[in-house]
Amino acid sequence: MEKTYLDCLAAFGIGGAHPGGLQLTKKLLANERFDENMVVLDAGCGTGQTAAYLANEFDCQVLAVDLNPLMVEKATERLVNLQKDICIEVADVQSLSYEEGSIDVILSESVISFTNPTISIPEMTRVLKNNGKLFAIEMVLEQPLSADGRKEITEFYGMDQIWSVNEWMRAFLAAGLTIQSIEVPELETDNDDIETATDFSLSESIDETFHDILSRHVVLTENYKDQLGVRIFKCTK
Amino acid sequence: MAKENMYQMCNRHRGKAVMIRTKDGKEHRGIIQHVDNRQVYLQPMNGGRNLGGFGYGYGGYGYRGRGFGLGIALGAIATLAIVPFFFW
Repeated sequence: MEKTYLDCLAAFGIGGAHPGGLQLTKKLLANERFDENMVVLDAGCGTGQTAAYLANEFDCQVLAVDLNPLMVEKATERLVNLQKDICIEVADVQSLSYEEGSIDVILSESVISFTNPTISIPEMTRVLKNNGKLFAIEMVLEQPLSADGRKEITEFYGMDQIWSVNEWMRAFLAAGLTIQSIEVPELETDNDDIETATDFSLSESIDETFHDILSRHVVLTENYKDQLGVRIFKCTK
Repeated sequence: MAKENMYQMCNRHRGKAVMIRTKDGKEHRGIIQHVDNRQVYLQPMNGGRNLGGFGYGYGGYGYRGRGFGLGIALGAIATLAIVPFFFW
């Protein structure tokens, strides 16, 4: 099977693999209070950095899912040591096993972008309680892209679409969500802060292909930095 | 910097992408995989140039690591800095 960008993130075990990393996650949650009666889902948890942060910071019950089994394995390694109430499993955010109206808060940190949002957004909405919240940090199209550019990006990242802010808004509204705010995040990283620096949980041996994918990602992101941006969408059901 | 301190510093940066400049002026980029009392071992990578807070790489990778990767003597290290990365 051909190796993808998401396989590459899993092989390198990249923690906080979303724009802004853990630093932005912390900022996003700075004013939130999740008590022990609340259920918070880290949808597309990767190596579990955010799930670990949630469990350490709040008393809430933490659920974490990821489609990639290697990611779930690395997240499990990280999370078992915490001895907290965290339930982690391999699952597709487009088809969750949770009951309707069972979750208070869902975090999607550059996850919906890698799914079919017209399926994943309604599915997340289904499992949210009434007045439950969806926080999504996602890629947006800032400027028109040539057909070739769009093809290059979607094929490389394995995405079905690159949406403008308006397209995202339409999808959230169509799923029955109310959009509370749309923010452009500050993505400055603090080079001296070890805690928030990208964290790698490397596999024992990393296929050369993954080095090439990582390299290509870095070049693509640079080449398309004017076209591709990031928004934080805060929605409620 | 004393050798013990460099050992501790490398240990704290385990699992992070770093740029190590050795006293001979060479730069090594990679992810710290392992540290012992003599050497730090990097999984080499040539990505991650500090550009407006993001890490960007150019021209692919110079060398590839196997096992514990590239060993650098702790005593040879002049400076160590975190390399920022951006991921979707």
